[in-house]
Amino acid sequence: MNPPAIIQSIESSGIGEWLRSTEIAMPIVNSLHVLCIVLVYGSILVVDLRLLGLRDRARAVTAVSTEMLRLTWAAFAGAVVTGAMFFAANASTYWFNNAFRFKMLAILLAGINMLVFQFVTYRKVEAWDRNASPPGAARLAGALSLLIWTAVIVLGRVIGFTKGGIEVIVPTDEDFAF
Amino acid sequence: MSLEQIATSMQSTSLSEALKDISWLVPALQSIHILMVGVVFVSMLAIALRVLGLMRAEMPLPQVWTRFAPFFWTGLAVMALTGALLTIAEPVRELMTLSFRIKVVLLAIGIASAAAFGRGVRVAAAPASGGLRVAVLATVALWLAIILLGRAIAYDTSVWGGWSPVKSLGGAAT
Repeated sequence: MNPPAIIQSIESSGIGEWLRSTEIAMPIVNSLHVLCIVLVYGSILVVDLRLLGLRDRARAVTAVSTEMLRLTWAAFAGAVVTGAMFFAANASTYWFNNAFRFKMLAILLAGINMLVFQFVTYRKVEAWDRNASPPGAARLAGALSLLIWTAVIVLGRVIGFTKGGIEVIVPTDEDFAF
Repeated sequence: MSLEQIATSMQSTSLSEALKDISWLVPALQSIHILMVGVVFVSMLAIALRVLGLMRAEMPLPQVWTRFAPFFWTGLAVMALTGALLTIAEPVRELMTLSFRIKVVLLAIGIASAAAFGRGVRVAAAPASGGLRVAVLATVALWLAIILLGRAIAYDTSVWGGWSPVKSLGGAAT
């Protein structure tokens, strides 16, 4: 089974070739990817816990999200760039990997959850900014975010243990690369 | 007894065998480990940014410490536990890399400095001195290094070349 032409051309692109042939490239890309991901997760957790009314209850929701989300976005951008480099290096393997597909789906869901929150719930934030416990819709967004981002990280780790579309968890190579 | 012998004998302990027998356990432990790295690193970063006056500047430092320290310590405990189990499951893969060895040393320094900082923060709520700022920047760099080294374990020979002890095992980076 062959992946679509676009996937094949990404894999055979100069950047894909360079990443595969340069020994130090993947360790660097991989380390930076993990660094970005832990920053995304840790900073979103702070915001989610505030939305859930579990921490920073005396602090305005807007203050918590403003102080954290710049870090979140910068780290997310870094994760996307390094993640794209992973993909370029082994595009067809990722294309057929179920954990990879579910991870992308989970990121999409996280985005939808964030957009709904941003453009519906957060628009009226002045009304509940200082509430120790935000309204149900905000708490739901926080809980979903926490759940989805946890899934993103778990699925990311599962990619390293799966090959192609096989669902059984098997170590693929000696370095358990992501 | 060399470290390699210790690692090899650890590999055949019943606990190590048991951990390896459950196919999903290592990925699960690694996932929890990474999630906890996120909790620990961002908690540390929040406190560091407060010391530098870049975050929650209007909030007293002891209060910021009280908010984030429990996450830091709890995350660290879970991280250490999952890390220890992963090391028992794959002792040769971990112990026989330079990245792991440096990481463990840096981690010990990181824990000791956090404990010292925690003791200090309760007695002195004074504005951050120049020395403290430098110490905080060094701490951020330290944890960055710990995280990057954690991932480098899987690529020890690519990262360290001839310095990596993996070479002496005939290239078997299990």
